[in-house]
Amino acid sequence: MVENERHLLELCGVSVGFPEKRRGLKLVTQGVSLHVNPGEAVGIVGESGSGKSVSMLASVGLLSGGGRIVEGSVRFLHGEKYIELNTLGQKELNEVRGDEISMIFQEPMTSLNPLMSVGHQVEEMLVLHTDCEAGERREKVLAMLKEAGLSDVEALYGKYPHQLSGGMRQRVMIAMAMILRPKLLIADEPTTALDVTVQAKILKLLKKFQTEYGTAILLISHDLGVIKSVCSRAVVMCGGRVVEQGGVENLFGQPKEDYTKKLLAAALGKENVLRQAHTQNSGEVVVRVTDYSVFYEEKAQKTKRGAEGDCDMAAKKSGLSALLCKKTRREVVKHVSFELYAGEIVGIVGESGCGKSTLAKALAGLNPLTGGTAFISCSQPQMVFQDPYGSLNPTKTIGWLLTEPLRLHHVGTKEEQRRAACEMLDKVGLGAEYYSRYPGTLSGGQRQRVAIAMAIMLRRRFILLDEPVSALDVTVQEQILVLLVKLQKEFGLTYLFISHDMNVIHRICDRVFVMYGGEIVESGEALQIFDNPKHPYTKKLLGARV
Amino acid sequence: MRYYLKKIISLIMVLFLIMLLTFIAFQVIPGDGAVTRLGVDATPEAIEALRESLGLNKSLPARFFSFLGGAVRGDFGISYHYSKPVGELLAARLPATVGLAVISILFIVAVSVPLGLLCSRREGGVADRVITFVTQTLMAVPAFFLGIIITLVFGLALRWFSPGGYVSPGEDFMGFLSYMVFPAISIAIPKIAMTVKFLKTSVLRELKLDYVRTARSKGNTERAILWKHVLKNALIPVITFMGMVIADVLAGSIVVEKVFNLPGVGRLLITAISNRDYPVVEAVVVYIASVVLIVNFVVDLLYQKVDPRVRIE
Repeated sequence: MVENERHLLELCGVSVGFPEKRRGLKLVTQGVSLHVNPGEAVGIVGESGSGKSVSMLASVGLLSGGGRIVEGSVRFLHGEKYIELNTLGQKELNEVRGDEISMIFQEPMTSLNPLMSVGHQVEEMLVLHTDCEAGERREKVLAMLKEAGLSDVEALYGKYPHQLSGGMRQRVMIAMAMILRPKLLIADEPTTALDVTVQAKILKLLKKFQTEYGTAILLISHDLGVIKSVCSRAVVMCGGRVVEQGGVENLFGQPKEDYTKKLLAAALGKENVLRQAHTQNSGEVVVRVTDYSVFYEEKAQKTKRGAEGDCDMAAKKSGLSALLCKKTRREVVKHVSFELYAGEIVGIVGESGCGKSTLAKALAGLNPLTGGTAFISCSQPQMVFQDPYGSLNPTKTIGWLLTEPLRLHHVGTKEEQRRAACEMLDKVGLGAEYYSRYPGTLSGGQRQRVAIAMAIMLRRRFILLDEPVSALDVTVQEQILVLLVKLQKEFGLTYLFISHDMNVIHRICDRVFVMYGGEIVESGEALQIFDNPKHPYTKKLLGARV
Repeated sequence: MRYYLKKIISLIMVLFLIMLLTFIAFQVIPGDGAVTRLGVDATPEAIEALRESLGLNKSLPARFFSFLGGAVRGDFGISYHYSKPVGELLAARLPATVGLAVISILFIVAVSVPLGLLCSRREGGVADRVITFVTQTLMAVPAFFLGIIITLVFGLALRWFSPGGYVSPGEDFMGFLSYMVFPAISIAIPKIAMTVKFLKTSVLRELKLDYVRTARSKGNTERAILWKHVLKNALIPVITFMGMVIADVLAGSIVVEKVFNLPGVGRLLITAISNRDYPVVEAVVVYIASVVLIVNFVVDLLYQKVDPRVRIE
């Protein structure tokens, strides 16, 4: 490396602190030092809580909750000289933000103002930082949207965020961030909330802008694959400190630090199958689904895209009948048929909106609008959901939550219920001391363990898992998968495992169904599907793996 | 277009149901209109004659439809107590109530929006703490007590208005306004307190959302973020709340009308109930119900305007 090459951004010994209740500060990062060269793509990798997002947000003054830089400096090359971002006044900082340093965030839905048309949100950049006339601004915005890979931009200009898909929203965010050709783009987990196939396209777009406009990219991600596909250099963070940094090839080829090795192992573990696929089925049918369809009811007017039912036609005739006949059905899952055998783990993969979650919810009895037949050998199969934060009632103790299914089904006495709950807590690796704690005091992984324990409490043999590890960090993901496999063996369970992540499916499933547009387009043994995919959509899914 | 048609049809259906229920309610209540009017010692012939002329001897459905027919034309019959057409009575009382409502709503909007924004911008600061303390206190004060205090301070001590000296807007519009300001304030203050609290909570909730961070990352000033991005979002729940407040105020504040001696709808209702003057009560109930429905309808339209997510093409 050239010694006197000027860095674009330099963090020197940055420590970020959040105010605590009783005075004092809680340090979340300590002495973080890193730099970005002009036009370079640098990745910051680490688990949640490692301080990777916090240190970057603090650098540009975007931390909420009173967090701030208590030590160290952030220098940014502004024209010919450096400016210190952490001591800059609000007015000067606002001039740099957006114009020279722009950002994109993880959640494209919530990151855009829901009440402002996307065109105006992109245009706002020009209003804030340039003197362009209205007509010229519009032209520029349209050109930029097109460049970000969006089509029909004239119509798009006046649309609102809720009318766009996740991928389109993220493209809008990128258009917004790139329209002024900033020197640095900070991308905070830009693809984590997106489907795999969309993720690959978004990363490609970022890479394109980096090479075309010489924009330096600082990519924050927990996913090593994402970092590898965009960045030439990476910084590994753990517990608020920089653990290791270097060129991507070197760093991930010969990691020096234990933590980097651990991360790599978890990421490479993606390749390892967690359990011996058990190919000969037991012959005992647990679930038999024939010609099964699931519907959603919608307000008649909204179904412009889908097939319009008779009901909708009637509604058009007069206002009065419209009042009486408001809803129409939309077929989300279309005539699927399959069987599950005892002791199997069967995966369903597909993009969001393909109907996989809808199918699972219907099988669990959470959606009564179904057609066809579904035979399930146990009553009320239990379900584990994706979001471990939202799906546990925060006002109840873990013990209360675990014993609830037993209470509802009048299983055992109070004392027996308590004992069963404590035993189950042991089984999922938490221990009986968690009995009287509240969900709010647990981490995401611990909560998911509680959710799994809840599902198994009733000893139903069939469990539905809806993206159970998607919201978790890689290393935690690993632990939960191992736990699921262990419990499956111990209790002789049958899982229907839903995921958009091909790697996870690959690791634990015996058989796989690929869903697309509400239909099962391909099904078969996991190995066979991964080695020799037949349907073009399956090939596309596998191709998008990073 | 179809959406509005549906809305209007359901509006009319709800109004019809309300009239039906009001009508039935007054048939179920014991007591006979004719007896009430003539007194218990009237001769049976006289009562029968009056029943005949009031149409009370007809069948229930027939009476309902004549009531309905009248109501559609704005004719609610003759008041038992005042022996005047009910429509006329109501029309005479509306200026005071509507005037009071309009002035107090103006107060509420003009005061609570800036105060709410100020509180949320300087959360935890001196202004916020003072305003929060004052609003908390005022929220707990009943309107009639405020009315008495205001009469005492501004009417009797400072002599800014003469208590009980209401003038109708037709007579002296400026005099009407300068008198109405004081009852309007006593209605507005508790509602302002609630609205400020509501708006502050709403703005603070919005400020924590991701899109605000995006707006900051674009280089917006805090002021621009508040006015251009946050305010509109924060107003969405406040619109619903304001709708409830407006309907409430338009329905007539019985207590405040009494304290300030205003000839409003609220007082008309109270007198009518104690006199068993059913035509008047029916008319006032229908008026209040229509006000609530229409305000809700307007709130729905406003939602459509403000929030693209509920907009219907």
